[in-house]
Amino acid sequence: MTSHQGRLSRDVVESLTLDTEPWLSCEECFDLMDSYAEAVVAGTEPRRRHDMEVHLRACPACFQEVESLVALLQQDSAD
Amino acid sequence: MSARGPEPVSVALAAGTTSGATTSDPDSSTTSISGRAGSLDRDWLGELTSSGAARETALRDLHVLLVKAARHQVARMRGLLPRLGAVEADELANAAADEALVHLLGRLSTFEGRARFTTWAYKFAILQTANEVRRRAWASTEIALSDHLDLAVEVDGPESRAEANELAHAVAAAMTEALTTYQRRIAIALLVEGVPVDVLAERLGTTRGALYKTLHVARSRIRAHLVAAGHLPAGIPFGGTA
Ligand SMILES: [Zn+2]
Repeated sequence: MTSHQGRLSRDVVESLTLDTEPWLSCEECFDLMDSYAEAVVAGTEPRRRHDMEVHLRACPACFQEVESLVALLQQDSAD
Repeated sequence: MSARGPEPVSVALAAGTTSGATTSDPDSSTTSISGRAGSLDRDWLGELTSSGAARETALRDLHVLLVKAARHQVARMRGLLPRLGAVEADELANAAADEALVHLLGRLSTFEGRARFTTWAYKFAILQTANEVRRRAWASTEIALSDHLDLAVEVDGPESRAEANELAHAVAAAMTEALTTYQRRIAIALLVEGVPVDVLAERLGTTRGALYKTLHVARSRIRAHLVAAGHLPAGIPFGGTA
């Protein structure tokens, strides 16, 4: 097991009580993440921004992947 | 540090919050691969669905882009695999890029052009690589689905301890009373133990989507229970139309 060992830390309590409406699946998040990341990098309004933000707050794996795509696009545009 | 991954978002990814990034000249985003591999006006779909030399070139260039994205992802997650050497890291990136290419080609018909093709392609490599890194990071860890919750609460100072404890106890009660055993175990594994969703899905023979849905329902039930017990303000929408 991990070091967390069943601890209800403040972060965990916050995460357990997150409001994850409106529903967006990881698959839909994957479908949207390319245009979302481009909008973030361009500073324009992403499609379904609110739904994506709710999902990314609630889903660390998707967050990690979107964050990485944004960083890669930024790196590309800096080259 | 455990393999829990990044702390859930206080970092804003929203539009306009990135530090001074601007869209650049499309030509400046070309990679060093074939000179035009990343160029905006390239007809990737046309080339990839053609035959002969054009398709071969497109496949090769596309693979180079996927390897680049996979290496980028391995580098970002390197902390999860401290014993991974440089050669192994590169092998991992190449293997993930191979897999990503297969997935991508299988979904070519779903490309809608809402983003650049290269951005659309990158995400396949990022997903595949992240899955593989997480899988390896957890490979030697046994994951026992537990019902156990420890109520030791971390707080900043004595004045917030009572409040934090009260909420933690209420959440624990909600988990016991409002969740099914399965929902409780999934919520504990994902949010308390910090098992990545794709790793847990593989161990349980289910999908990331199905586990996230279970978690979504569990969170809604916990919130509803807390509202009913007066621990969360009423009137905040949490359950949609259900
Ligand atoms: Zn997700």
